[in-house]
Amino acid sequence: MNKLITILASCCIATSVWASEAKLETVKVGLDVPTVERGVGVMMDSCHSCHSMKYIKYRDLVTFGIDKQKVDAWRGDQPLDATLLAQMSDSDAMAAYGKAPPDLSLMAKARDGGASYVYSYLLGYYVKPDGMPGNHLYPETKMPDILGMSGATDAAQRTEIQSKARDIVSFLAWAADPEEQERHRLGYYVLAYLFVLTFLLYLVKNQIWARLK
Amino acid sequence: MPNRIIKWIDHRFPLTSFVKHELTGYPTPRNLSYLWNFGFLAGFVLMLQVATGIFLAMHYKADIALSFDSIQHIMRNVNYGWLLRYMHSTGASAFFLVIYIHMARTLYYGSFRAPRELLWWTGQGLLLLLMATAFMGYLLPWGQMSFWGATVITNLFQATPFYGDQVVIWLRGDYTVGDATLSRFFALHYLFPFLIIGAVVIHLVALHSVKSSNPSGIDLAAKDNIPFHPYFTAKDFYGLGIFLIVFSVFVFFMPNSLIEPANNIPANPMQTPKHIVPEWYFLPFYAILRSVPNMVGGVVAMGLSVMLFAFMPFLDRSRTPGGGRYRPVYRIQFYLFLLVILVLGWVGYVPPTDLTIIIGQVATLLYFGSFFFVPFISKAEERWLMKRGLPAEVTALIESETLEIAKRKLNPRRRKGEVA
Ligand code: HEC
Repeated sequence: MNKLITILASCCIATSVWASEAKLETVKVGLDVPTVERGVGVMMDSCHSCHSMKYIKYRDLVTFGIDKQKVDAWRGDQPLDATLLAQMSDSDAMAAYGKAPPDLSLMAKARDGGASYVYSYLLGYYVKPDGMPGNHLYPETKMPDILGMSGATDAAQRTEIQSKARDIVSFLAWAADPEEQERHRLGYYVLAYLFVLTFLLYLVKNQIWARLK
Repeated sequence: MPNRIIKWIDHRFPLTSFVKHELTGYPTPRNLSYLWNFGFLAGFVLMLQVATGIFLAMHYKADIALSFDSIQHIMRNVNYGWLLRYMHSTGASAFFLVIYIHMARTLYYGSFRAPRELLWWTGQGLLLLLMATAFMGYLLPWGQMSFWGATVITNLFQATPFYGDQVVIWLRGDYTVGDATLSRFFALHYLFPFLIIGAVVIHLVALHSVKSSNPSGIDLAAKDNIPFHPYFTAKDFYGLGIFLIVFSVFVFFMPNSLIEPANNIPANPMQTPKHIVPEWYFLPFYAILRSVPNMVGGVVAMGLSVMLFAFMPFLDRSRTPGGGRYRPVYRIQFYLFLLVILVLGWVGYVPPTDLTIIIGQVATLLYFGSFFFVPFISKAEERWLMKRGLPAEVTALIESETLEIAKRKLNPRRRKGEVA
C-alpha cells in the first residue's frame, strides 16, 4: 500500500516536472495583413541575411495582400516566383557560426510550443554573470541576439522589441500554415452542412425504426 | 425497364439473391447498441484513406531528396492539397480510434467467444495489417520523427535469432534507413490497403456466417432479429454523420495536433531528436517495449502484447453470456485493463525518468496479468455466479449454449438461415 502511495505521489511530481520544463511566453499571433506585412519587414531586415524561407515565394506575399511595391523593393531584381533564399550560403554560415541557420518556413510548426517557442526564444536572450550572452530557452544556441534583447535596459525599448518579435512570429505562423484562415472558413461551412445532414439522418433513422412496434 | 435489366443480370449473376441474403434479408439483432456502429465506420475510414491516398500519391515523390518538399508542394500548391493531406493524416488516427473502440466492444461483450473465433482472428490479422500500413506511411513525409521512428522500429528486428543483422538490412534495403527504405515503404504502403480490403471481405464473410453478436450475449430468436437494411443502414448512416462531425473538427480546426512538431523538420540522420515518440496509437505498445530492460525481451513482450488478443477465446473460460454485462468481475477487469492501457500510453509519451520506468513496468505486468489471470478468474467467476444463482433465464441459456456448442461440433453449418 505504501508503495502504491509513493508511486501515485511521484506520478504527480513527474507530471509537474515535465510541465515546468517548457517555460514559454505565450504569444497570440495576428494573421491580419498589416501585422504579417510588418513581420515580413523585420524578417527582411534582420533574419534574411542568415535564414531562408524556401517554401515562400515573393508572389505568395503579394497574393496574401501585402503591398506590391514593398515586395518589389524586397525582391530587387529577382523574379516574383523566386523563393526567399538566404543571402548567406549554408557553408559560410557554418564557418561563421558553427551551425547552419535552419529554414524558417515551417519553424512555427517545428518546435513544441510553436509560435510561442520562437517568440520566447527571440526574447530569451540575457547577459550572463560572466558578461557573455545567454538564452533562457536554448542555452547552447549559436545564433547571436539579433533583436538586441540582452542589451535592452529601459522598458520602452523592451516593449518595442517585443512587438517586433510578435510581428515576425506572426509572419512565421502565417508562412508555416498559409491556408489556416481558408481552412477555418471552409470548416464552418462543412460543419454546418454536417449538422443539418446528421439531424436529417437522425430523423430518417427514427422514422424507419418506428415501423417496429 | 429496370426490372428487365435486373432480370437480365440475375440470369447471369446472383445480384438479387446477394442483396437479399446480405442486406435486405440479413438478420441482425434488434438490440444492438451504438457500439455496434464501429465496424461500419472502420470500413468507411478505410475507403476514405484509399481515396485520399491515391490522390496524394499523384503528387508525392518517394525520394529522400524530394519527399519532404513534395509534401509542402501538396500543402501549398496543389488545389486543396492541404485538405487531402490533413484528411489522410487525421484519417490514420481516426482509423485506430474506431478500431480500438470496435475491439473494446468485442472484449467487453465477449463477442470473440464461440462461434466467433475466426471472426476475431481475422480481425486480429486486420489489426496487424493496419499497424504495418500506418507505420510505413509514417516514413513517407521524411521528417525527423519519420526517419527516427522507422530507424528505431526496424532496428528491433535485430532481435531475430541468428539472422538479426541480415533481417534489418533486408527490411531497409540498406545499412541505414535511406532512399531504398523510403521507396519500398511507399510501394508497400500503397499495396497494403488492398490486402486490407481483401481481409475485410474475409472478415465480413465470417461475420455473415455466424451473424452479429449482441449485448445480451445470447443468440436471439428469429422474432428479435430484423433485416440489416433498412434498419441498420439507417442507424449506421446516422452514426457516420456524428463521426464526420468529430473528424471535421480535427481536419479543419486542429489537424496539426496529430502531427509531431519534429516531423516538420526534414529527416537528418546526423541528429537524433531529443526524444523519439511514436504516434499516439502505438504508445502503449512502445511503453511495453521500453519497460523490459533487455532488448530481445522487450521485442517479444511488445509482439505478445499485440498478439495476446487472439488468445482470448481460449483464455476466457466462462460460459456466462453477455460478457461484461452479466459478469461483474469481468467488467471490473475490463475497466482496469483500459486504465492500464491509458497509463502505458502516458508512460510511452513522456521522456523516460526512473519513475516513469517503474510505473511502466508495473503497468506492463498488469497488462500481461490481465490476460494471464483471465482463465482462472473467469472460471471462478462463473462458479460464483452459478452458486449465487443466475436468473433462471440465463441458467437455461448456458445449458442450451453448451448443448449448442456440442451440436455445432458435429454439424458446423447447422445455424444457417434464421431470418425474421
Ligand atoms: C547572424 C545570422 C542569423 C541571423 C541574422 C538570424 N539568425 Fe536565427 N539562427 C542563426 C543560427 C546560426 C541558428 C542555429 C542556432 C542553433 O541551432 O544553435 C539560428 C536558429 C534560429 C532558430 C531556431 C532555434 C532552434 O530552436 O533551433 C530560429 C527560430 C531563428 N533562428 C529565428 C531567427 C529570426 C526570427 C531571426 C530574425 C529576427 C533570425 N533568426 C536571425 C543565425 C541567424
